[in-house]
Amino acid sequence: MFWERLRHLLDETLLNFRRGGWGVVASIGAITVAFLVTGTFLLLTLNLGTVVAQWAEDFQVIVFLSDAITPEQVTLLRKRLEGELAVREVTYVSREEALADFRRQIRGQESLLEGLKTNPLPASFQLRIQKQYQTATALGQLAVSLRRMEGVEDVLYGQEWVDRLISLVQVMKILGIVIGAVLGIASLFIVANTIRLAVYARAQEIEIMRLVGASRSYIQIPLILDGTLQGGLGAALALGMLYVLFRATLWQLGASAPLIFSGAELGRFLEVEYRMGIVGIGALLGAVGSLVAVRRFLRA
Amino acid sequence: MIQMFHVSKIYPKEVVAVSDITLHIQRGEFVFLSGPSGAGKTTLLRLIFRDELPTSGQILVNGRNVVRLRESKLPALRRSIGVIFQDFKLLMDRTVYDNLHLVARVLGVPEAVSRRKIGRLLKEVGLLQKADEIPYKLSGGEQQRVAIARALMSDPAILLADEPTGNLDPDLALDVMRLLVEVNIRGTTVVVATHNRRLVSEMGQRALILKQGRLMEETH
Repeated sequence: MFWERLRHLLDETLLNFRRGGWGVVASIGAITVAFLVTGTFLLLTLNLGTVVAQWAEDFQVIVFLSDAITPEQVTLLRKRLEGELAVREVTYVSREEALADFRRQIRGQESLLEGLKTNPLPASFQLRIQKQYQTATALGQLAVSLRRMEGVEDVLYGQEWVDRLISLVQVMKILGIVIGAVLGIASLFIVANTIRLAVYARAQEIEIMRLVGASRSYIQIPLILDGTLQGGLGAALALGMLYVLFRATLWQLGASAPLIFSGAELGRFLEVEYRMGIVGIGALLGAVGSLVAVRRFLRA
Repeated sequence: MIQMFHVSKIYPKEVVAVSDITLHIQRGEFVFLSGPSGAGKTTLLRLIFRDELPTSGQILVNGRNVVRLRESKLPALRRSIGVIFQDFKLLMDRTVYDNLHLVARVLGVPEAVSRRKIGRLLKEVGLLQKADEIPYKLSGGEQQRVAIARALMSDPAILLADEPTGNLDPDLALDVMRLLVEVNIRGTTVVVATHNRRLVSEMGQRALILKQGRLMEETH
């Protein structure tokens, strides 16, 4: 009895699927597009978020030293920097180290440096800042006082645009949620419509099943599974396309701007939890859509 | 087996389908429901398998109050009643076999059992050779017999037939009636709605006459 039921369930679900034809294709397509757009936003937001967090953490203030600075002045400056309340950690990067770092960053394109007769890079102190001083105003004040110190050529701090990036990430997050919600609701209706068409196409069969004693769930469950399958499949398809797009974009960026987008650590695809979540939400949308359609039809 | 107490069915816009019907059909009986078209025969049948709810009155089928039956108990009621619809309600895109098989699936009958049963029923109605045909290609009489076979798939205690001889010539009509009588002899309560008064008198069974939704007379 159980196996008969299970077989019926699978048979019916696949039957609906096959008979749905272009309706099913359109339905899956709509869900795919919805999830592709939403997924793109999600991916961008997450990646940008990580990058911004990384930047905020790593490279906060760089104090460039004048080329004429003496080793004694360097030691003195280091002491003064370490004495600053806002500074958590001080790292000295000599001119040679700076050049070596740069060479490493542009690996494969060292020929760019061949024409150089002298090292153009200045020595620097890289400062890590205490958490409570990581605001644009605090860092601005710090920069002003650092610039006055002897042997300091320039002070670079990225806080202002780190802040800007953080707010950009916020905006993208909200935009992603809004667009995701709109497209999600739209695809809900499309699934509901597809299932409704499937129900209409089989109206006579469903009526006969009811009249010969099929329970409501016997008729409904395959149709709802059908919608669930459409939703899950659409979301999975979107995920696959998103991955391909993501890889292609990384490759493109890596080729065109190796300095900024070096290495794979910059771009990370959605974590397993997100991937499962996306397919789950797709399936849920499909299930709700078909439930709405089936309920309306079988109310009698 | 089937009891009705002051049953009325009034559709919207005050269309009275049946009015104040009280009747009693015994287990194992063969009863005609006769009367002109529009007299309420179909409505009365639909009230029995609860395809409609009465506006007032009570209906007992096999000891169950159909009017107050819970939704979850509806399948059990329908499985105990075989219905031969006036328009047959056969699926025209499936074979005769598949039309019968649909019922087996709904009932959850194992494949092997259902195959044997379909074979037996098709043999009884004389359509074993047409199992793989599409109903569309069958004659009206053959379609009627497919509908009868399907109604018997659940071994119903009650068989309801709505105009089973409606568009058949007299010879075929008698064949179909003979089939229904056979079913009745094996213990199934049979109710046949028909406007054909000659058929009713030829068969000599109990007949309930409906006119404009009211039960007019009973003849035996």
